[in-house]
Amino acid sequence: MNTEVAVFLLRLLSSLILAGFLLALFYMIWRSLVQMTDSLEAEGTPYARLSAIGDENGAHRPEMSFALLPVTTLGRSSSNAVVVDDEYASALHATIILENGQWWIEDRESRNGTQLNDQRIQQRTALADGDEIRIGHRRYRLNLTKQRASS
Amino acid sequence: MKPQSNRRENSLFSRSRQQWLLLALAGAFIATNSLALALSGSAAQSDWSGLALWISCALVGGKILDHYLPDRDPILFPVVMFLSGWGLLTIARLAPPFANRQEVWLLVSIGAMLLVAVFPQALRWMRKYRYVILAVALALMLATIAFGSNPSGFAFAPRLWLRLGGFYFQPSEMMKVVLVAFLASYLGEGATAYRIADKDGSAKAHLPRLLGPTALISALSIVMLIWQRDLGAAMLFFAVFLLMLYLTSGDWRVIAGGAAMVIVAGFVAYHLFDVVRLRVDIWLNPWPEADSRAYQIVQSLMAFSSGGVFGTGLGQGSPLYVPVVHSDFIFAALAEEWGLLGVIGAIGCFAVLTLRGLSIGLRHSTSAFRRLFAIGLSTMLAVQALMIMGGVLKLIPLTGVTLPFFSYGGSSLLVSFVMIGILIRLSSEAR
Repeated sequence: MNTEVAVFLLRLLSSLILAGFLLALFYMIWRSLVQMTDSLEAEGTPYARLSAIGDENGAHRPEMSFALLPVTTLGRSSSNAVVVDDEYASALHATIILENGQWWIEDRESRNGTQLNDQRIQQRTALADGDEIRIGHRRYRLNLTKQRASS
Repeated sequence: MKPQSNRRENSLFSRSRQQWLLLALAGAFIATNSLALALSGSAAQSDWSGLALWISCALVGGKILDHYLPDRDPILFPVVMFLSGWGLLTIARLAPPFANRQEVWLLVSIGAMLLVAVFPQALRWMRKYRYVILAVALALMLATIAFGSNPSGFAFAPRLWLRLGGFYFQPSEMMKVVLVAFLASYLGEGATAYRIADKDGSAKAHLPRLLGPTALISALSIVMLIWQRDLGAAMLFFAVFLLMLYLTSGDWRVIAGGAAMVIVAGFVAYHLFDVVRLRVDIWLNPWPEADSRAYQIVQSLMAFSSGGVFGTGLGQGSPLYVPVVHSDFIFAALAEEWGLLGVIGAIGCFAVLTLRGLSIGLRHSTSAFRRLFAIGLSTMLAVQALMIMGGVLKLIPLTGVTLPFFSYGGSSLLVSFVMIGILIRLSSEAR
């Protein structure tokens, strides 16, 4: 009788230890994953913002800005990430691409062209902080930062 | 990166502490169960040598790893110690005469693991002498076709073992590490060229170059295994080969072609081999033949059902109704005596091993060889564990492979520990 009780208690204990082992294991893995994301965030991921800065006439539009995706499409069609509401813009006008930590802009054979700092781009062109992009009458300012990915 | 590593040192859970906490919990689990087994009196004689050996291996192994490889992954070693200690305990309960032999193998395996992990040249040699090692492993497998034997001594049992003195060794187990090492080093060299070719659109011409020698070697070992009726290992090798080739090329045709080949091969094998037809038939419906050919799988299912959620308790179930339960079917015994909780524990441990193995691979961003090696080894362990756990549960047709770290069998234990040794080495070299 006594051994039966002891065996039962040992069973209970071993189940608890097993559960404890698994919990400790999962806790450690969760922690190491958190640490990994922390260190990735500390390194910083390339982050860019495109802000509308009003049209050619200087008329100020409501402040609009867009966080850029690794591949961001710009154009008049509403399927684009950045919709350029202008009659001189083509449906798909240009794309901004992130490649190996560098942002590039590419004109997608638009009818009226894409201007980068008042120069029409002929081929894929590297972008820098503060660049001005003009599509039709719309003008945009590019802000590049190394920002925490979580924000 | 500096402040990051400082924080890691200061944290409550340093690497070394994580290891010792897990080892202590594992030791407590095994000691509690050993005591329960001795009290329940189902073991032939209460034998404490296994527990003593396990504790000394854990202490010495942990100390050595702490001393030589402070930056390693701290979780791998305790988890495999937990699994192998649990396995040893289960074998002592199921087949006491086999326990002492398995203890010797455990000692040898942990020694081999430490050697591979601590000795810095091991990885380089595996890469440098890959053709020599490959030739030796293939020759050993060929030798089993000529001089192979089976420890059980039955006339028609598959003869996959080579006898050396009183011990038997299974070369197809060794081939697991050798094949992954070869594939990783060969594909690793091809990977860069392939990626460049992929950019300028000439990838199509490069795929055969990756495929040729690796497919030849893999096919050779798979054919040898099929020749010896070791179909489980053959499938395992094929799955790992496909996965590694896919990881290198990123080409979906590899997976599609592989799946098509498996379907065709399965269809042909079903009509050619009696073993395959039997396995598929009893997988589809074991009940008409529950007393004859499907006896083992039906008893295994019974063991699972009688285990329930919390199990019958160690030494209080009757897992011995499953024939040869201490080998491939050890998972059924575990399910009966520890129940669903034990099953979740074991699956959780294998999942953790796989996760850590894959993340070690991902952290090797500069060396394609190391990346593929870590990922190949962890998929090998994961696929093997899935194949036998699924087979015992009748989720997939049964294929005779061992449950890594658990099942009785020296070669399997040795090779599984060597794989973990390599993973530990790779983890301490990762960024």
